[in-house]
Parts: sequence; C-alpha cells; structure tokens
Amino acid sequence: MRNVDDLIHKALTRRKFLAGAGTAAALTAVGCNNHFQPQTTPNPPVNPTLTDADYLNFALNLEYLEASYYLIAATGTGLSAADMGSGAGAVTGGTQVPFTSKVQQEYAYEIAQDELNHVRFLRSALGSAAVPCPAIDLTNSFNAAAMAAGIGASFNPFGSFDAFLVGAFVFEDVGVTAYHGAAPVLTNKTYLGVAAGIMAVEAYHAAEVRTLILQAGSTYVGYANQISALRATLGGGNETALSATTVVAADTTNAIAFSRTPSQVLNIVYASPNGNVMSGGFFPSGLNGNIKSTNP
Amino acid sequence: MATTETLILDEMIVSSRRRLMTMGGTALAGLILGSTKASAQTTLTDADYLNFALNLEYLEAQFYTLADSGQTIDQVGIGIGAGTSTTGGGSVTVKPTGVASCKVPFTIPAVASYAKEIADEERKHVSFLRGALGMSAVAQPNIDLYNSFNAAASAAGIGPAFDPFASDVNFLLGSYIFEDVGVTAYHGAAGALTVSANLAAAAGILAVEAYHAGLIRTVLWGLDQATPAAGIAATATKISNLRALLDGTNNDDIGLGTEQVALNGSTATFTASTIVNADSNTIAFSRTAQQVLNIVYASTSGAKGGFFPSGLNGSVS
Repeated sequence: MRNVDDLIHKALTRRKFLAGAGTAAALTAVGCNNHFQPQTTPNPPVNPTLTDADYLNFALNLEYLEASYYLIAATGTGLSAADMGSGAGAVTGGTQVPFTSKVQQEYAYEIAQDELNHVRFLRSALGSAAVPCPAIDLTNSFNAAAMAAGIGASFNPFGSFDAFLVGAFVFEDVGVTAYHGAAPVLTNKTYLGVAAGIMAVEAYHAAEVRTLILQAGSTYVGYANQISALRATLGGGNETALSATTVVAADTTNAIAFSRTPSQVLNIVYASPNGNVMSGGFFPSGLNGNIKSTNP
Repeated sequence: MATTETLILDEMIVSSRRRLMTMGGTALAGLILGSTKASAQTTLTDADYLNFALNLEYLEAQFYTLADSGQTIDQVGIGIGAGTSTTGGGSVTVKPTGVASCKVPFTIPAVASYAKEIADEERKHVSFLRGALGMSAVAQPNIDLYNSFNAAASAAGIGPAFDPFASDVNFLLGSYIFEDVGVTAYHGAAGALTVSANLAAAAGILAVEAYHAGLIRTVLWGLDQATPAAGIAATATKISNLRALLDGTNNDDIGLGTEQVALNGSTATFTASTIVNADSNTIAFSRTAQQVLNIVYASTSGAKGGFFPSGLNGSVS
C-alpha cells in the first residue's frame, strides 16, 4: 500500500513532467485521472482524459516486452532490475537463441540494444512517473498464440534464428500501429516528435524482420502470415500478409501505414478479442499505468 | 513562449544536441541551428508541408517506376500537373539511352519484386497527396535522375559516375539515397502540421518510408555480407556521410556496417549491425525542410540543383 506522501510525490513528479505541456487542461486531467483517487469524486468522467504521460507509459509497457524478448534471445538475460523499475513483475520464459552465424547474432544484438534504448529513454523522459515493468510471459503466450493461429500446440521462438524472426514478427508491426495511433493524440510537440521517431525505428525493425523471414523460406512465411491473420482477428484488421511484393504493412489504397487504438493493441498483446479485458497473453497481470483495459 | 523555452531547457539538460534534432518541430530545430531561414518557415501551412512532401514523392515515384518498368509515372497514369491536371508537370532527365533503358536488368528476383512494390507505394503516395491537396497540389518540378547521381557519386567519393539503373546492387544503392531522407523529412514535418488528420497521414507515410529504408538496408547488408569484397556497405556508408555533410550536422546519418554495443553490460563488447538509422537513443533522426533541401539539391548552401535542377515547386524551395 502506498502512503499519502508517496501519492503526493507521484502527483508532483507528474506535474513536473507535464510542465513542458504547460496547459491547465493537462494538469486538471492528472488530478481527475489519478489511479488512487477515491471513487467519490463528483461526476467522475466515464472515460477519463488520458495524458501524454499515460500514452508514454503505455508505450513503455510495450518496450519492456520487446526489450525482454530481444535481450533474452540475444544473450539469455533480460532487462536488469535498474531498467525495470521498483515493483517490477516477473519475466518468465525464453533462452538465448542458438545462432548459427555472426550476421544472425549481429541482427539480434542490434534490435536488443535498440529496444533497451527505448526503455531507458522513455523511463528517463517520464522520470518518477514511469511505471515499472509488468509481469511478462514469454512461454505460454507464444504457445497460446501458436494454437490460436493454427501453427500448432506450441511454438518456441527461442529455438532457432528463423523461429526468433517469427517471434519478432509478432511484435514489430504492432509497435508501428501502436505509435501511429498514439502520435496524433499527444499534446506536447516534443513527445510527438519522439513518438514519431520511435515509430520509424519500429518500422525499420518490422521491415528488417519481414525481409529476413522471406529469406528464411516458405515455412516461416507461412507462420508469419498465420500470426498476421490472428492479429487481424484480434486487433481490428490492419494487416498486410507477407510476400515478396508486400514487405510493407500498409493500407493498399494509399500506402499509408496502419494505425491502432490502444484498445486494439491491448486486444493483441492480451490475446483476446473481447472488451473489458485487463490482462492475458504476454501480460498475465496486465499493463501498468492508466491504459490497461480494452474498450467495453 | 515560456513553455517553449521550458521545453528546450528541459531537453538541453537531459539530452545531447543530437537528441534535440529529433524533436521534429521546425521552429525548435531552427532555434537550435540558429538558422533564420528555418525560423522563417514557422509560418508555413499544412498545405505547404504536404506540397513539400509531394515534391519528394514525385522524385521517389519516378525513380522506382523507371527502375521497375522503364516508364515514367505519367506514362502509367499518375497525374503530375498542378492541381488536378494530369499533364503539365516538369521534365525527367534520365541517361542518354532513354527512359526505357532505365528498367533495371534485375538478376535477383526478390529485388525485382521489392522494386515493384516500392514503385507502387510511392505512386500511391503521390496520388494520395495530390488528392489531399486538390487544387492546391503543385506540379511535378523538373527532376534529374542522371547528372544528379553522377554528381552525388563524385561528391561521396564513390566514383566519377553512377548509374542506379545498371544492376540490382546499384538500384538498391540508389534507393538508399532516398529512403532514409524521406524518413527524416516526414519526421521533421510531423511536428509542424496543425490538422490532426494531416499529422496522422504524415506519420503513416513516415512509417512506410521507414519500412522501405529498413527493407533496402537489410537487403544491401545481406548482399554485402555474402560478397564482402564488393564493398557494398562501404559505398552505402559514403552516401550516409555525404548526406550528413550536406545537411550541415555531419553526425545525423548512420551508415551500413557494425558497431559495438553494451546491451546490459557497462562496456560495448557486442558487435551489432546498423540496419536502423537513428540517434544514440535509437530515435530516428529528424531534418528540417532546409536540411532536406540541401540534400536533394546536393548543396551545403541550399542552392537549387541535384535531383531538382529548377528547385522544388511550392513555398518550401
């Protein structure tokens, strides 16, 4: 249980964080949107206004997931306690991938460092408002996804480099759509620039992974497309099947990348198409922060 | 103003100058660069930025369509005139052997497929932006895809001439010149757009340019690793270095190769590839309109030339 001092400290650090935005509305929103606010607040908003900090924390949860996956795949060891924050959940599953070439290992090291940098950057930008890493499941999640996608009863993305690519495929296109969806709702231009810049990096990763899966051959392209179909079912469409002439995931009418709402992203990472879901899939205890539940 | 200053100070405290370049707002970047030219662009409208983007999309669409099919985009039904006029745009200069000879003699089927896909997507970007701009759309400016590449090759130290339509690898290197620039240009413009729908569209095109860049860089790196003696990655890195030189920073473009990273450790002992082109926080770089112009004009002073011998059409030129 947090005491009152902690709550005040949290509020002050969030106010400090939002000072850059400098709008009275944003500060008011923080007051109305505090997790720990008693429910006796007069006329509580049904959908409380989300702040930039809420969206950045939403992104931070996704970066914890990606960084954990890539770090474990690359080295066998996930995020350090310092990078996960106080009160972090447990990360279960995963082993170092048995890479068979230097080039394979270099790809994994690069993306692992990139995602670790994103975790560190967002934690730094959020300061004391940063949420800790939630509980993450890298075993049952992939098995359930494989079952739901029709790949088989289990799937170990850490078993080979090609399997690792399919595991990476699960995340990267989703990251693009999540940042794309969040960018226009950010009120602070600095954070908009940051979100757009991270989105671009996720798109670089997505293209890299999709290109390498094409090189891995038809078996893995097949797996990727079963995952893509599952994501479409869970997350409101917004998918482009992978082929040599569709490396880019985008709307075919205008070649503009897809966008997803936070709720649609949650449906995917919780592996549930339903409303009011607050945990599951990769996040057995749900995300940390104010964006946690799928829309009703 | 106090808000802007607070923001800038906060950023300066927590970050390096490099990070500042990623903030996206032209006004902010202008302040940092101390460039009056960039600061003056704060009065630009969304339409001005979209037309700026349209000029770049005309360039990309022409390059890829020529590589894929040996035809210009107007020959395949894409409008290039002002407003809704399909004709009346500028010329496209290609090698003396003519437009049809620009169809790349691909020997790697996957690369031919990638060219077809990217050509299709860049044409869609042209059509989308023309549709969004309506009567405000600028015509295609004069485009040079011959002297420009030769001059760039010379400036980059690659050689006296370079034909991006000559082979699979040359096509990929030609693509390399454009895609990372597209990313930084849309990133720089995103923060300046005022209409939410325009911002969402720009962000979505930004993501697609980053997909293209990631695709091109991954394929080039794979070819380089398969045939190290060809020096493919080294050539790409020369292009990155030239871009960084032209835009005045000398440090906002990561070439193709490897770097040492620390991961969870305290010393950089892991060798990682550099497929992603981003800053030390792994946030993609951002360029102001002026910096982008310097690159596509191939001029550190922003004098018209390079790929656009008569300059861009519209307010950003």
